[in-house]
Amino acid sequence: MRETRLRLEGRVGAFALDVDAVFQERVAVIVGPSGSGKSTLLAAILGLEPRLRGAVCIAGEWLEDTARGLRLAPERRRLGWVPQAPTLFPHLDVAGNVRFGLRRGGDAGERLLARAIDVLELEPLLARPVESLSGGEAQRVALARALASAPRALLLDEPLASLDVPLRARSLAHLLRVRDELDLPMLWVTHDPDEAMCAGERALVFDRGRVVATGPPRDVLWSRAVAPLADALGVENVLEATVEGELGSGDARASSHRARTRGGLALVLPGALAPGETLRLGLRAEEILLAADPPGRISARNVFAATVEACEEDGDRTLVRIVAERERLVAKLTPGAARSLGLAPGVGVHAVVKAQALRRLA
Amino acid sequence: MSGADVATMTLLTVRVGLVSTVASAPLAIGLGYALARREFRGRALVQAAVALPMVLPPVGVGLGLLLLLSRDGVLGSLLARAGIAVPFTWWAAALAAAVVGFPLFVRACEQAFAETDRRYDALSRTLGLPAASTFLRVTLPLARRGVLYGALLAFTRGLGEFGATAIVAGILPGRTETLALGIWSRVQAGDDRAALVLCAVSFALALVSLVAAEGWLRRRGRPPEDS
Repeated sequence: MRETRLRLEGRVGAFALDVDAVFQERVAVIVGPSGSGKSTLLAAILGLEPRLRGAVCIAGEWLEDTARGLRLAPERRRLGWVPQAPTLFPHLDVAGNVRFGLRRGGDAGERLLARAIDVLELEPLLARPVESLSGGEAQRVALARALASAPRALLLDEPLASLDVPLRARSLAHLLRVRDELDLPMLWVTHDPDEAMCAGERALVFDRGRVVATGPPRDVLWSRAVAPLADALGVENVLEATVEGELGSGDARASSHRARTRGGLALVLPGALAPGETLRLGLRAEEILLAADPPGRISARNVFAATVEACEEDGDRTLVRIVAERERLVAKLTPGAARSLGLAPGVGVHAVVKAQALRRLA
Repeated sequence: MSGADVATMTLLTVRVGLVSTVASAPLAIGLGYALARREFRGRALVQAAVALPMVLPPVGVGLGLLLLLSRDGVLGSLLARAGIAVPFTWWAAALAAAVVGFPLFVRACEQAFAETDRRYDALSRTLGLPAASTFLRVTLPLARRGVLYGALLAFTRGLGEFGATAIVAGILPGRTETLALGIWSRVQAGDDRAALVLCAVSFALALVSLVAAEGWLRRRGRPPEDS
């Protein structure tokens, strides 16, 4: 994948936006708290924000370089934008909305659209009026419309933010299928670290108009540079696990399952799951307990040995990075607790996680 | 007054109303859009100029038009060279109707465009439609209710137009005598019965167009049936 370059600056409302980022990854997430200027940055990339100027190069293709007098109009940038709600044209039906994208997309758009209808399970929606769609359905249609325009890249603006929590897992799964099955560069904006860890190969952490940290999501979202934003963002662990089998409890309603993460960690998960199913799990850093000695009889279903990799004290919390099997996790402790356990790089600990603390993301 | 006279006057009135509305639509829509969406120098001046025909006495507007279009007028002298004389024709009546209805039309369009979400325009651009096609395929369809409402206001205002029309088009039976002018001349002649008949026709015409337009707006504005 060729290089993406964003160098944009200008004054927008309360702050000066100044972005300078270069990366090679196909899928990048722009993470930042609400009001940090993420949507404005997208608008500038789309050519819709006259207050911001500079250089925009998406996967090797220059769309704007004011130094060279290049500034393509929005209709010539070929970027597939899925904005925050409302997303669909209210004067057209679902099919009309999707066809709108084909005006530019042509044959390439037809092919992408056929894939999108399949991947996003849109067939049953095409005959429906726009008003009858749920937020998640409207978003899938908007995504298909963007794909029908045969874009060089997809720009998603907080694709899950307007959805109810139960709908998010399903929508996220759809988005990840689009990411994995259509080989398109993506810029994915979110304020949610869960989403960022699931979605991106590259994270740009954004605060008040500036990129404050950039790198692989797992490293960046736990980095010191992001610490001041940790509360606004809610630092999370994300694990990918495959269900291996049911734990015999003799009671179907109270069933739980064994699962193994990509890093080889064995977990016990609650609820009805199908063996072979692959899940993405969220685990908040403050929901991991660390014990110096193996705990005795305990209600928590997940207890595993781990090694401390690093401790970062920051004000009233210490972020402890641990490795269990090949899985890297971060736990959030009070500095006093970390000191009383004598935590330091190389020290062995036992991590304790309630099965209920492992939240299913997708 | 024969039935044929009534029919002639009615048809002329409808024709004047339709032509004035349709002909002024592009300018009214364009101005309404510019006032709603663009910041430009002299905006307040344009807004005042557009509202002018509404606050001036219609007779004054008619006089102004007559001066403009007469053989010695700025516009009239140019048209005369091309062999066109507007005053005292039904074109003059249509022009008068267009001018007095224009402020209502522009105002309704301005409001309609101000109420439509600009994000839809932005979306359309990113999907590959240039500004002009975006206006025709997205902005205008989204604002259609307000624009049609403006057209209806201008049309019905034109149906009853009297003062400006009488001055610039005269009251020429069969040529420029619309229903409103017909009522006036019947009253002048002391034929109250005929005047009342024309009043009733005017009333019916206005009512029919209002009801038809309301019905149409309602039908178009309602979400499509769920299948």
